[in-house]
Amino acid sequence: MILGDLLDAPVSGPSGDRLGYVVDVRFVLDGPLDGLLASPRLHGLLVSPRTGTSFLGYERTGVRSPALLARYYAWRHRGTFLVRWEDVDSVAPGAVRLVDGYRRFSPALHGPV
Amino acid sequence: MSDLPEDRRPAGRVLDARLHLLDRQILDVDGTPVCTVDDLEVHGLDGSDLPGGTQQAVITSLLSGAVLATRIFGGRPPASRWHRIRWTHVSDVGTTLRLGVRSEELDVTWQERWVRDHVIRRIPGGSHDPG
Amino acid sequence: MKKVLGLALGILTAIGGFLDIGDLVTNAVVGSRFGLSLAWVVLVGVVGICLFAQMSGKVAAISGRATFEIIRERLGPRAGGANLAASFLINLLTLTAEVGGIALALQLASSVEPRLWIPVAGLAVWLVIWRTRFSIMENVTGLVGLTLIVFAVAVFLLGPDWSTLADQAFHPKVSAQEGQASYWYYAIALFGAAMTPYEVFFFSSGAVEEKWTVKDLSQSRMNVLVGFPLGGVLSVAIAACAAIVFLPKGIEVSSLSQIVLPVALAGGKLALAVVIVGIVAATFGAALETSLSSGYTLAQFMGWSWGKFRRPAHAARFHLSMIICLVIAVGVLMTSVNPVAVTEFSVVFSAVALPLTYLPILVVANDPEYMGERVNGRLTNGFALVYLVIIVVASVAAIPLMIVTGAGS
Repeated sequence: MILGDLLDAPVSGPSGDRLGYVVDVRFVLDGPLDGLLASPRLHGLLVSPRTGTSFLGYERTGVRSPALLARYYAWRHRGTFLVRWEDVDSVAPGAVRLVDGYRRFSPALHGPV
Repeated sequence: MSDLPEDRRPAGRVLDARLHLLDRQILDVDGTPVCTVDDLEVHGLDGSDLPGGTQQAVITSLLSGAVLATRIFGGRPPASRWHRIRWTHVSDVGTTLRLGVRSEELDVTWQERWVRDHVIRRIPGGSHDPG
Repeated sequence: MKKVLGLALGILTAIGGFLDIGDLVTNAVVGSRFGLSLAWVVLVGVVGICLFAQMSGKVAAISGRATFEIIRERLGPRAGGANLAASFLINLLTLTAEVGGIALALQLASSVEPRLWIPVAGLAVWLVIWRTRFSIMENVTGLVGLTLIVFAVAVFLLGPDWSTLADQAFHPKVSAQEGQASYWYYAIALFGAAMTPYEVFFFSSGAVEEKWTVKDLSQSRMNVLVGFPLGGVLSVAIAACAAIVFLPKGIEVSSLSQIVLPVALAGGKLALAVVIVGIVAATFGAALETSLSSGYTLAQFMGWSWGKFRRPAHAARFHLSMIICLVIAVGVLMTSVNPVAVTEFSVVFSAVALPLTYLPILVVANDPEYMGERVNGRLTNGFALVYLVIIVVASVAAIPLMIVTGAGS
């Protein structure tokens, strides 16, 4: 699939309730070796209750400066959570459905990437 | 930052598509700019085109192409308009993506080669270093 | 000498930004109508451009990324594309004006009609971009452009009433015949001229052309701290010359020959010759800066190979786009449009495009992924946020004021 189809797609819970939109997709470089690097394995989706792309990522990176901008953008995307790929039931174009008992995680990125 | 539980520590580098991969510059092995990452192709490890959560999925290629208009205004161009750079060729990911091959060998730079051969090389001095 | 030449990038950027044909005329118009009562705007603008040029130079030196690449990476294709459209249009308008300005300046020197000089000027600009090494280009244009210091010398030679000038500068008042709207329109025009985005695009791309690294950070800072204040001082000197000669008589400045009149009055034929050389160099430098900026912004947004340090065959689309821009500029000028009128619009549009340019620079300057440990300190961020507010206010007020005042007439 083309990743662009997944971004900004609406996300609903197991019973069809609207949870938000996919603002980003998290990959981890721990897949099978592909050339010089490991393959980026799809780890999870970052879901925000609000639309509008989180292009600066302040709610994830923990960068706190410049103070006013960081606080504003972190506030704007409060409630963003990470859903692991295992907890995603289906990905149809324009609709992501989560499984029963999906778990929410903190969207934080750890340390220098 | 958030009162949600922390995810388990990842076993490798974490890359968020929008934050770290999309719209990033791709450089070839010599550091020459090649193109930008316009989109990514993700396939299941078993080769499936539209993986669900039960299959592991990985990025198989970087996509670039004449898709600026659709990224700005919406919609999706047909698959034939995309240029693929397989993840196999990527050697490093930082603020730019570094490839292990030369830009000459990639399809995506055909426009550059065309302009070079049909316009620039025809103007005197085009093939020489600036004096 | 080497130390002075090391500052050439900053000086050339400032000359192209502060002393191009549009600014030469705007400064003289402001001086002839408002005296030095808008000098404080130049100061505010100089501090602002120093702040952001320093940041973008630092980012370029540490991460190797020029500003427009960062704009696309951090803002995404939509906002980045909007910025590209605005910046490219402004660059093209300004480039057209500069090539026209070169022709006007050569007309002053030779009394040959500008339309004959226009293709010559366009070709000369292209030849320098095509074949000359970046360092030679900036050194020669920067050094020769410095002859515009003759404006500052002229201020002294004219023997003005210093207390009147000081009064205008330190107690700015809006005169009855001008009105608040005109005053603030010109304030925004001067601010937009000082902080024109192509200055940062050129400066940061130039930093990459010169292959600055972490070791060159202090050189980058010196370039900024010498080049832009110098540009500001000369801007004020031009306004002062017009204020001394034209304001008391109520003459409104509109042509290049009027702008150089105070210098001729002060220092005779020799000074006139020097200032004409300076104006040719400054407009030529501005033409180089704007055409290179057109190439830089387009190539950096699209991900093409760019840079004068590469032979043209290795940066084909970059060079082709600049050739097309120059052809368009020459074509437009041959229709006898007044190049100076063209810049008055582009200056105001610069003010509108400012926020989209400076926000990403500020964000990246704080991003440890690009800057490692050298992220901005709190003081820099504080100043930068204040300036972001000023920039947004100026950008919002620019077009309404332009309409209300009829572009300052």
